[in-house]
Amino acid sequence: GGLDSLAQFVKDTRSGKANFTQVVTAPGKDGQPGRSKTQTGTFEFQRPGKFRFTYAKPFEQTIVADGKTLWLYDVDLNQVTSRQQEQVLGSTPAAIVAAAPDVKALEKDFTLAEEPEKDGQQWVKATPKSRDGQLQTIRVGFKPGSKGPELGTLDILDSFGQRSVLTFSGFDVNAAVPTSQFVFTPPKGADVLKQ
Amino acid sequence: CATSTKGGASFDAETNRWSGRLALNVASEPPQSFSAGFELSGQPDKGELRLTSPLGNILGVMQWQPGQALLSQGEQVRQFDSVEALAAEVTGAPIPVRALFAWLRGQPEEVTGWQADLGQLPAGRLSAQRQMPLPTAELRIVLDR
Repeated sequence: GGLDSLAQFVKDTRSGKANFTQVVTAPGKDGQPGRSKTQTGTFEFQRPGKFRFTYAKPFEQTIVADGKTLWLYDVDLNQVTSRQQEQVLGSTPAAIVAAAPDVKALEKDFTLAEEPEKDGQQWVKATPKSRDGQLQTIRVGFKPGSKGPELGTLDILDSFGQRSVLTFSGFDVNAAVPTSQFVFTPPKGADVLKQ
Repeated sequence: CATSTKGGASFDAETNRWSGRLALNVASEPPQSFSAGFELSGQPDKGELRLTSPLGNILGVMQWQPGQALLSQGEQVRQFDSVEALAAEVTGAPIPVRALFAWLRGQPEEVTGWQADLGQLPAGRLSAQRQMPLPTAELRIVLDR
């Protein structure tokens, strides 16, 4: 089921690389469905604590967690903001997928519950324990893979009812991702400021 | 006629809605920076500014009308006496949110202390500097294409 897929994924998949599509759908208003925006990119991670979201379309944005600092670089805005990972990472979806060393660490920040199989994936629902209340639930879907469960979907519902669904494809389990991918060097001329 | 709203065109005349990303840098000690996706809708005196993270969750919703400015974050709602005070709480500087409606349409509007550059709007870009009061601040906006 979902819980043991998560446990196996967190234990056995120490690194990985995949393409993703992110569809963010705003909450509907007075009967009208919410508008949605689609972005695509690549996701890489090295457990524990290192990951990189490289958004390519329709605009370029990069999120890099180097183990200590979380960097956000927006190419068009020429802006880099950085924050301490342990301040922000705990109850974020990335913690589940890439940062937490093991399930016990996850259970510090989330209540984990099994969900029925759907769309050929094994599901877990993670409810953040933190009181900042930004996210309602994070559902994680695992696809069966030749080298163990593969991350298939991250379905994030925030407290306003906005939903962000990341679907992953071409998952390369335990991919040899160069460590340089998790080092962020601010480009020349970009404003680099702490948030 | 209204530009298509599919694919996140930056302006939807029907609902007077702009969407894109904004970055703010404040030359305070230590310097402060903020960046987020945004959606601005409504009118200068009655509107909404919604800020989202790169992963797509809403960081905060600012709503204002005469005599009231509300900030909703998670389950918390707080009241401010002006939309500028509200913007300062969220981003670090009192962004002239109401003037954005005019600026984004390419219409110059005076805001004391602020200098807006509307020349890049055809490319979907806007920047505005606050000279005073100190510390100086710079707002940069890129509209969705």
